[in-house]
Amino acid sequence: MLSLHNPFPTTPKPSLNLNSSTPPFSTTFKPHFPNTLKPPKPHKPHFATRTQSLLQYNRKPQLAGETPRVVVITSGKGGVGKTTTTANVGLSLARLGFSVVAIDADVGLRNLDLLLGLENRVNYTVVEVLNGDCRLDQALVRDKRWSNFELLCISKPRSKLPIGFGGKALVWLVDALKSRQEGSPDFIIIDCPAGIDAGFITAITPANEAVLVTTPDITSLRDADRVTGLLECDGIRDIKMIVNRVRTDMIKGEDMMSVLDVQEMLGLSLLGVIPEDSEVIRSTNRGYPLVLNKPPTLAGLAFEQAAWRLVEQDSMKAVMMEEEPKKRGFFSFFGG
Amino acid sequence: MASIWTLQFHPISLQPSIWVSKHQTHLNFVKLRPEFRFISGSSKQLNRKFVLGAYSGSPSDPDEPAVKTQTITVAVKDQLSKLHGTINSFPPLVFVMNRYGGSNLAIGLCIAIALLVIAVRVYAARKLRHRTPGSVADLVRRGQLRSDRRGISRPLKYEDPFNNPMVKVGKSNSTVEMCGKVYRLAPVTLTEEEQAIHQKRRSRAYQWKRPTVFLKEGESVPADVDPDTIRWIPANHPFATTASDIDEDLAQNNVYQKHGVPFRIKAEHEAMQRKLEALQSEQKLNNLMIDPRNAKDFERPFKEHPRSREQVEQSSFNNQTSDSMPPTSDPAPISVESNSSSEETQKL
Repeated sequence: MLSLHNPFPTTPKPSLNLNSSTPPFSTTFKPHFPNTLKPPKPHKPHFATRTQSLLQYNRKPQLAGETPRVVVITSGKGGVGKTTTTANVGLSLARLGFSVVAIDADVGLRNLDLLLGLENRVNYTVVEVLNGDCRLDQALVRDKRWSNFELLCISKPRSKLPIGFGGKALVWLVDALKSRQEGSPDFIIIDCPAGIDAGFITAITPANEAVLVTTPDITSLRDADRVTGLLECDGIRDIKMIVNRVRTDMIKGEDMMSVLDVQEMLGLSLLGVIPEDSEVIRSTNRGYPLVLNKPPTLAGLAFEQAAWRLVEQDSMKAVMMEEEPKKRGFFSFFGG
Repeated sequence: MASIWTLQFHPISLQPSIWVSKHQTHLNFVKLRPEFRFISGSSKQLNRKFVLGAYSGSPSDPDEPAVKTQTITVAVKDQLSKLHGTINSFPPLVFVMNRYGGSNLAIGLCIAIALLVIAVRVYAARKLRHRTPGSVADLVRRGQLRSDRRGISRPLKYEDPFNNPMVKVGKSNSTVEMCGKVYRLAPVTLTEEEQAIHQKRRSRAYQWKRPTVFLKEGESVPADVDPDTIRWIPANHPFATTASDIDEDLAQNNVYQKHGVPFRIKAEHEAMQRKLEALQSEQKLNNLMIDPRNAKDFERPFKEHPRSREQVEQSSFNNQTSDSMPPTSDPAPISVESNSSSEETQKL
């Protein structure tokens, strides 16, 4: 689902800056309406306007907050789409030009490498790093499609991680990534395991902010509320919500809670609303995340927008509710 | 027994008058039997001879059945000639086709050939692009070179997710059309006060402290530890370690290591080096001890002597015991054999 981008920027930029989030469409302070049907036609050859036209398409979100931004993606309930969200949001961030390290913090059940199609390239994990079998840079798997995206798995199945310093290990990892030679990554995204036991505690230890993934059903909401409480007790205050697997037709028929109902129950800002999409399963089978599809699917677009808002620390201001299509008159055949 | 055949082939000249005549005459039923006869000669015409047999007389009077057979020969030749006639009746069209068809055909042929040539060239060019041997593109494809760092690669043109042409927004900015469905934009109604209320509710409902002390079942609780921060690990927990194999400081150093050989690999390598050095020094020692010239002096003639036999048995027993003992430090059998050989030489 898409949101209405804020058409009225609160801080109008006085100069034409290349890094500006508002596309410099003209030199005057006209409010920009991004919801156009067609892309604007390029102007006559003039160097400044031609650059603006290019920027219209290649505009980048402005990074807010301190780097590295350590974000944990959690839910409480299993199967709501944490790993899918981690993979798609992570790759969207990489596509926007930010350096991303994704950590699969599920000690026993590793899945993020499967979703990314990198399962054959994971040779070393954090357990090997702790044991001294390899260095940290050797355990990082760089994605060949987007070289600024790296994956780090905590452990291979059947290996043990001492509970005592599981959380500390992640803190050391984040610290080591900050001080590495290539430079600190812009985003460190941690895919949290389901539940609220040791794995959850380990995963949330180094995080500064959290993205809570939930579905519009009562079981998921109850678990999400509990997890939110635990996150707040642990000191993580910046918590945003992604509502996944939304069926607008069921919401219209009042068989499913609406996104606004979910927000009313949890009281969290909305980062994104992802519609139910069968392409998710196909992309999992291919090992090719959804956001890389061309043309993008609805869910892929929604993930991209959620990534954009995550970068700018923004939230949704409106949600889309399905309505009956307008009944067209007889003469609509002629283009009315 | 008369039977009525249904005709499979109806020549043009076949008239239904036969059936009409059936009704007109006093005949009760008609026997119709097609017979095929090929006319000899070059023509492939088919002459059909329908043998028509009619049985007169009423069924009530079986005594006097009168059969009159009439042979009707239908010539198909007439049909073909008629067909020829119809074709020949359109001379102007044929003439026109003959007059203009040639140039149209040529033009069409030229266009088709041109399109074919273009298609073949495009296909060949595409294949050549992919199959250029030894190009840098192959390196990029194999993952040896990063495509995004190359100056010659095309710059990324990333579509704006908020400005997607697939999404049509209504003029009043309140409706959105997407994939054939119409959506209404409903503003989010959560206020900051409501958010604060939810946070207070959760802080009252969920009291939780991060566990810092992990105890196994049976261990005593330390005195100065907050009981809320203790986490009990069941004995059968899959992620519980019975003994701390990894030293915490060592693990931290391993994580922060940026260059050089990892700790365990280095330790194993050093251990292997030491072992090799030890083996080499032992071999040197063995070489010093065993002098081939002196070895001949140690040779004795074979004599059946009980004392020597006892010595041999003892030495063999010692060898067996030394072989059966598991090697303490390394699995290599070389050292065991060298030990046994050194023992033998010492005894001898």
